[in-house]
Amino acid sequence: MANKVRLGFVPLVDCAIPVVARAMGFAQQENIDLELVREMSWAAIRDKLSFGMFEAAHLLAGIPIAARLGLGGLPVQNIVVPMALGRGGNAITVSTQLYQRMLEADPNAMLGPRGRSARALKKVIDEDKAEGRPILSFATVFPFSSHNYELRYWMAAAGIDPDMDVNIGVIAPPRMFDSLRNGWVDGYCVGEPWNQRAVFHGDGVIVALKDDIWSRSPEKVLGLREDWAQSNPELVSALVRALVRAAEWADQPGNRVELAHILSEEANVGAPFEVLKASLSGKPVLRPGEPPIDLPDRHVFYRYTATFPWLSQGRWIGEQMKRWRQIPQDTDLKAVIPDVFRPDLYRTAVAGLDVLVPQDDWRIEGAADAPDRSLVGMDQFLDDTIFKAEF
Amino acid sequence: MVKLEEFNILVIDENPDRAAIVERGLVESGYTRVARIGTSHNLVERIQALAPDIIIIDLENPDRDTLEQMFQVSRAIARPIAMFVDQSDASMIHEAVSAGVSAYVVDGLRQDRIRPIVEMAISRFNVFDQLRRERDEAQAKLNERKLIERAKGILMKEKGLSEEDSYALLRKNAMKQNRKIYEIAQSVITAFQLEF
Repeated sequence: MANKVRLGFVPLVDCAIPVVARAMGFAQQENIDLELVREMSWAAIRDKLSFGMFEAAHLLAGIPIAARLGLGGLPVQNIVVPMALGRGGNAITVSTQLYQRMLEADPNAMLGPRGRSARALKKVIDEDKAEGRPILSFATVFPFSSHNYELRYWMAAAGIDPDMDVNIGVIAPPRMFDSLRNGWVDGYCVGEPWNQRAVFHGDGVIVALKDDIWSRSPEKVLGLREDWAQSNPELVSALVRALVRAAEWADQPGNRVELAHILSEEANVGAPFEVLKASLSGKPVLRPGEPPIDLPDRHVFYRYTATFPWLSQGRWIGEQMKRWRQIPQDTDLKAVIPDVFRPDLYRTAVAGLDVLVPQDDWRIEGAADAPDRSLVGMDQFLDDTIFKAEF
Repeated sequence: MVKLEEFNILVIDENPDRAAIVERGLVESGYTRVARIGTSHNLVERIQALAPDIIIIDLENPDRDTLEQMFQVSRAIARPIAMFVDQSDASMIHEAVSAGVSAYVVDGLRQDRIRPIVEMAISRFNVFDQLRRERDEAQAKLNERKLIERAKGILMKEKGLSEEDSYALLRKNAMKQNRKIYEIAQSVITAFQLEF
């Protein structure tokens, strides 16, 4: 008898790992009957995981940390993270109108590094203030999402106060695109395919990619209920192995077209094949009607330790929660993060396999000359920050 | 002490029929201040304007992610809101999740005052599900009957059988093949459609 595991996911490109684990037989090889359940909201996934409707979930990295701290109006939920689900493919997209205004306000900033394009936004905001116009509205997908922290990081580095100078709301990913089209928001930070789709429709322009902000910022993770993980250690290992194998498959450039086909199915992401292919082939289009740019690392599922649950990445999310006053300043993240992010479970699962694992569970993030650069890939913050938080 | 009718209850649902059923249940139980809204892009502003004490929303509604924002201590809302989870009652949590109900309440409301409202919503969601199932079944039955009528018509016209004999033929084949009569009727229709 195969072991049944119900896994909830949100239709985004980075649901690829669980989808591939089922579609390409990696789950079956581990004797797992992986049932995938498509959900349209992060709150619904979190609750169904917490209250036992799912054993596993595709989660924003911030959700299990927030759950452990009892944030978000819910009593404390103990969710553990045995692995990450790739590096995601976030981007910041603005409406074509706002893009035009940014271009006019500061053409140099728009030509320079994309990580610094918010300098043009700052000028637009200053103009609006001087004219007494209402503030601009932006959206992210969840209060504890990397999107929220990346958008705020990008803004703050250009001198914008994300709490006062703009309005940042929350919209579930599948609804983002319509909100921009209808003019309800002026811009957003979301995962693919929702940026690429706005560009293909001529409704939006991508002004910064995740890699432009911080390529190693943690994105989606595998979340398991702690009590379930404790009572099913072998199944947890088997599930992690199946998902790591799936990540390896999804990462091969030669498999990306097939992956775009699989994800375009209505039961998975359900977005047009062309949109998914552009993004997955590392040839995203940033502005409507323009040729794609070459970006082979646009989607990373496996290489650069993209499935390893680094403590230092979890810590960064926690520090962003502090920065934006979502949690008290004295929260002991050094103690909390290792309860949630569990590299030990990852190491146990892949022991004996030819999977590259780092020597330590944490590292200094953002150092351009780090000795493990070939293992972890590009690692730079848009403002050259070095993030050092020891464990 | 807040009287029943003084609770401001907001029902958020994309399905207007279900929202109406929930609203009626609450009103009949003595909660008179019930408002309902569907999907809207300015949800936070609308909630602020309505100032509900309790929000009932289906568990899978994508608007929930927007509501989660209101948990943050923010300038968006004057009164902190939290998701209602009665931890002393595991069976209620299970019932709510399987019925697809979630509830948000303003800080400081007593659990025992909220529980009957959430229980009412759960029972109404279940009633709605039951109604929908019955309607789907009735629709399926009607479709089956239509198929049988069409197959009978084809047999009468093409094979010169009487209405009773046509039906008897369908039934005989159904019994022989251990299938439903409407399935045989569907095969008859398909077979004759192929010929033309």
